[in-house]
Amino acid sequence: MWETIAAPPFLLLVSLAMPLWGALVILLTCRNDAASARLLALFFAVATLVAATGVVVQFPTDQPAAQANYAAAALPWLGEATGLDIRFDVAVDGLSLWLYGLSALLVLTAVLISWTTVREREAGYYGLLLLLAGGMLGVFVARDMILFYIFFEFTLIPLFVLIGIWGSDRRRYAAVKFFLFTLAGSLLTFLGLLLLVLQYDTFSIPELTARAMASPLDPAWQTAIFLLLFAGFAIKVPLFPLHTWLPLAHVEAPAAGSVLLAGVLLKIGTYGFLRFSVPLLPEATATLLPWLLWLSVAGIVYGALVALAQSDLKRLIAYSSVSHLGFCMLGLFALNRLGIQGGVLQSINHGISTGGLFAIVGMIYRRYHTREISELGGLARRTPWLAAFMVFFTLSSIGLPGTNGFAGEFLLLCGMFQRASATTAAAYSTQFYAIAVLAVSGVVLGAWYMLWLVQRVFFGPLREPTHDAEPIRDMGWSEFFSLAPLAVFVLWIGLFPGQFLKPMSATLDRLTGRATAAWEQQAEAAARTDAAELADRGQNSPQRAESPPR
Amino acid sequence: MFEPQLLMRVIPALPLAAAVAIALLGPRVLKRSCHALLVVALLGSLVASVLLARQVLTAGAHGEDHAGKNHAAAAASPEADEHSTAAEIPQTTLWRWAAVEGATSSSAATYASSGGEPFAESQPLDFTIDITLRADALTAIMLVMVTFVSLLVAIYSIGYMHDDRGYWRFFSYVGLFVFSMTMLVLSSNFLLLYVFWEAVGVCSYLLIGFWYEKPEASAAGKKAFLVNRVGDFGFALGIFLIWTLFGTLNFHDTSAIDGVLGLNRIEAAAYPAGIVATAICLLLFVGACGKSAQFPLHVWLPDAMEGPTPVSALIHAATMVTAGIYMVARCTPLFAASGYAGYVVAGIGGFTALLAGLIAVTQTDLKRVLAYSTVSQLGYMFLALGVGSAAGIAAGMFHLITHAFFKALLFLGAGSVMHAMGGVIDMRRFGGLRRLMPVTHWTFLIGCLALAGLFPLAGFWSKDAILAAVYDEAAAHGTGDWEHAATFFNYLFLVASFTAFLTAFYTFRAFFRTFYGEERIPPEAGHHAHESPAVMTVPLMILAVLAAVSGYLLHVNETFAHWLAQTPGIPAVVHHEGHSSSHSFVAMLSTILAVGGIGLAAYFYLGELTQIDRIARWLRPLYVASYGKFWFDPLYQLLIVGPLWLLAQLAYFLDRYLIDGLVNLVGYLPRVFGGVLRRVQNGMLQLYVLGMIVALLLLAAAVVLPRLPVPEKPAESEATSVQPSPAPIRVGHRPPTLPSPDHTSRPLRGEGVR
Repeated sequence: MWETIAAPPFLLLVSLAMPLWGALVILLTCRNDAASARLLALFFAVATLVAATGVVVQFPTDQPAAQANYAAAALPWLGEATGLDIRFDVAVDGLSLWLYGLSALLVLTAVLISWTTVREREAGYYGLLLLLAGGMLGVFVARDMILFYIFFEFTLIPLFVLIGIWGSDRRRYAAVKFFLFTLAGSLLTFLGLLLLVLQYDTFSIPELTARAMASPLDPAWQTAIFLLLFAGFAIKVPLFPLHTWLPLAHVEAPAAGSVLLAGVLLKIGTYGFLRFSVPLLPEATATLLPWLLWLSVAGIVYGALVALAQSDLKRLIAYSSVSHLGFCMLGLFALNRLGIQGGVLQSINHGISTGGLFAIVGMIYRRYHTREISELGGLARRTPWLAAFMVFFTLSSIGLPGTNGFAGEFLLLCGMFQRASATTAAAYSTQFYAIAVLAVSGVVLGAWYMLWLVQRVFFGPLREPTHDAEPIRDMGWSEFFSLAPLAVFVLWIGLFPGQFLKPMSATLDRLTGRATAAWEQQAEAAARTDAAELADRGQNSPQRAESPPR
Repeated sequence: MFEPQLLMRVIPALPLAAAVAIALLGPRVLKRSCHALLVVALLGSLVASVLLARQVLTAGAHGEDHAGKNHAAAAASPEADEHSTAAEIPQTTLWRWAAVEGATSSSAATYASSGGEPFAESQPLDFTIDITLRADALTAIMLVMVTFVSLLVAIYSIGYMHDDRGYWRFFSYVGLFVFSMTMLVLSSNFLLLYVFWEAVGVCSYLLIGFWYEKPEASAAGKKAFLVNRVGDFGFALGIFLIWTLFGTLNFHDTSAIDGVLGLNRIEAAAYPAGIVATAICLLLFVGACGKSAQFPLHVWLPDAMEGPTPVSALIHAATMVTAGIYMVARCTPLFAASGYAGYVVAGIGGFTALLAGLIAVTQTDLKRVLAYSTVSQLGYMFLALGVGSAAGIAAGMFHLITHAFFKALLFLGAGSVMHAMGGVIDMRRFGGLRRLMPVTHWTFLIGCLALAGLFPLAGFWSKDAILAAVYDEAAAHGTGDWEHAATFFNYLFLVASFTAFLTAFYTFRAFFRTFYGEERIPPEAGHHAHESPAVMTVPLMILAVLAAVSGYLLHVNETFAHWLAQTPGIPAVVHHEGHSSSHSFVAMLSTILAVGGIGLAAYFYLGELTQIDRIARWLRPLYVASYGKFWFDPLYQLLIVGPLWLLAQLAYFLDRYLIDGLVNLVGYLPRVFGGVLRRVQNGMLQLYVLGMIVALLLLAAAVVLPRLPVPEKPAESEATSVQPSPAPIRVGHRPPTLPSPDHTSRPLRGEGVR
């Protein structure tokens, strides 16, 4: 009995079914009953988290062979009717493990911070929130192209509605922009995925990966498909300069929407790069690598600079996301173990820290109905616990050692320096060192805007906008418990990052090995050209030196 | 009796436990008795540190014969080698922080081979970071100093903070700081050093901004953190370079790889030289400049005086700000390998010492005078380290220890004054306090004498050692190729001597203005204006005793230098002929300078202040520059902060109007070109979803339809069935490696086809 319940495939299916089932139950039964909608949402969120925890803790970290098909559960689906092998096929591997776990955790956070903030049409709200949760969880574990794309788009619609109905003043514009922007990108991505399917004759992602590794495509085609995939994934991440939808969507979204958007949905972009672009299109990755690195580092510095100029709490943190995601991408495209593992870890970290920060901003907004930094000040006096959490997540966000942010940033920057020093071709090496140094400068800017924010809002003399008669209280229990688990993970990852790196290493090696090799070949070729030129010059120069006397 | 491994764990664990317990229990349970937990914990740490130091230093003294005699070729006999690697440096591993196997690619050229061959091609290296503690002589000395000063400061704070709202918060932060600082000196790799380097920075940030409702305090906290971040930018780059060059961040040797500062590498002198080594050292030194408030990153320390005075004494005078000195001393082998880094360290140190001394002369805020004095003295220590000789390093560390005692004493004395004056610290508003506060007066006097470097107090011995080291270095370079070096160090000697004079002058200026003259008490003092309670004065007395005698005790028989030389990588002091004569010259000179400075201060500040006003008018430009702190703050505001802020505004402007404008333009085009599309974009969600589903179905159909099972001739060979049927979208060339085994195993079509 227990074996059946605790079996990873079963738990995985439960964790996917719970949010969808919960959404259905809430939407159908709680039309006018806000209290039970909340309680049901909490119940289903906890159930999802419990099941997901069961999946995560049983992951066979020490047996790389067993990781490939861990928790694999497949249902025949659609294939019968069409003769295609499109299937409902889910599993967890080293790449999806923590993203999946993070999603399950943040669903609970999202439900808890909505507890006191959402005061209208609760049933619809929680129903959509759980639908969104189902989509997020599914997208990381899907092993079928079509299933992946369905989940991928599935995350879009509930969030669109959440922003459009429960958002703030310019919610319509934000929702439509968010929707069209990401939809445009994802349709191109879909085209790219279909081309891959056509090339390799399978919808199964592991199968496709295996075939692509055995026989890569022609480089020109790889580049074309890479760019198609890039459109969707880079918008999701978002990579500079495709980020302008993000601040708008964040500012207008309800708090829970922001948490899930920053915490999980952006990670679908980095996940997509690692799941599809890098392993399936290794030569294209290598060809475009300097460009990708430059875009990443541009995002880091640019996001930080723009964040510095913000007067709106949420928009500031939104731009900080652009900067942080730049770090994640930089790590991925360093294309070595340190960089990639650090990049994936950093994307988890960003979900935790920035998720926490958006939750706190939501709590401030609930109390004062403003996000303007200039209208607030000295809140530490009024709400000391909130201030303590804010300082804590800020320190995590700026990569203070001992917190998760440091572990990710340090590893991926080490990886970037490693890449720079391992690249002997002069042209690339100089570029890479410049990129690495610029990225480190982003760390300084990051501390600046975040600490300045904390100083202005929480320290100094108390300054509050006129608010309702309702007295301002410190954190309530729902708020406390929405942040406390995240705080635990901030320290856990910060102190024991090894525990989080180890499960992912085998999978990441497998996925990125070819791209690394492709890049190293390309770099070596460039280095040989360098050497040849040098030799040429070496041969020529003595002649030149001799010629004047003659 | 006690294993050093146990002691090393206990020393940081006790303050951490106290900090956590106070944070949890403080507000509700402990309330006004929070201090008890911390004081007990710090006492425990101090005892453990002393026990550890006894073991480490005596173990080293035992093996000193080996190390002292044949330091140059210590690897000669295997017996000695074993002794020095295994027995001397106790270390203990707590857990593995992170491990990434085969982190370097095989093509990476690393500087990792144990034989010391530079840039040998080597196997891929693992990136492993262990949380390992390690205690050598340098660490043990620092541990005793840190735990001792923090214990006294904690006791003092019982009185100083007694009616503060944040009583528990204060003691919790202090506990956290002592934990971080002890871990910093116990660190066994650069990552861990960086971790606790930042951790002490955060404690400093929290404690500077302790009274967060004061805008100046929270601004000062942020400034401190950011300036330090700039320094850490360099430090981090240095660490990354070390990692790419050495393939490890460990100080010590492990079975897998030689550490950066490990015995094997030191003995083999396997360090890169030239520009790379200089780059690493200078980057590390940028970090040290941030933490130890050296030019051009010195601007945060004076502002940090917004924090409670015990914090200024502990963190911003005695312990945390010396972390930069500790780091440079720790990396002595790296600096020794680079020919030029030492000059920069010495130059920056000497320049900062002079600059801060000049500023301190005119400041009117007692704590800021002391803060600039700290900057100046830290510059002195860097000057000594930059000299690079064994005597220089020993002198720098020696001054670190004596300075910790007398500067902590001075700050606590200033705190005592501030406590009595109701929070006023401006010297223009009080005076003549010697009768009101006799204990504070006498202990402060001892501190001032020690800082001024008067025989036989602590400062005399250490400052003298620094001056002598600089003097000898200038003499050692003599003439010829190294003439410029000799000139350089001669100038530095002059600068250091003049700074010694300045030090004596501004110290006694502050002393006389505070304790002599007409008795003036500001109205803020109220009924507070009396001597501080015993809980504050007893720590003052203890520190005064140490400020008086510690210099001589550590100097006699070269005790301190011998202790320090047991640290791997730090050379033992070797005595040349002719030293004693130069030393007596330097000692006489420094005494004359100190007495001269004190005398001048007495002349100007005992009695009417008309004289000094005349001088100030006479030297008006210099006075204004000094009083304005040489305008570093507005300069940085103008040159760095302002442009960056403008850049940020510009970026935001571009973001809104250029990048987003382009995006909107792309979104707008359909409306312009298609009347049909305009009707579609009506904001109705259903339509969008419908459109999306239709598009999805169409695309799916494009894939599916051509592949639906068509009746075909079943008898085709395996090879042809691998090829897909002609698709409408024919994509690309197939690579020649087709067909693969995977392909054949799973044909796309359903079972029915076969």
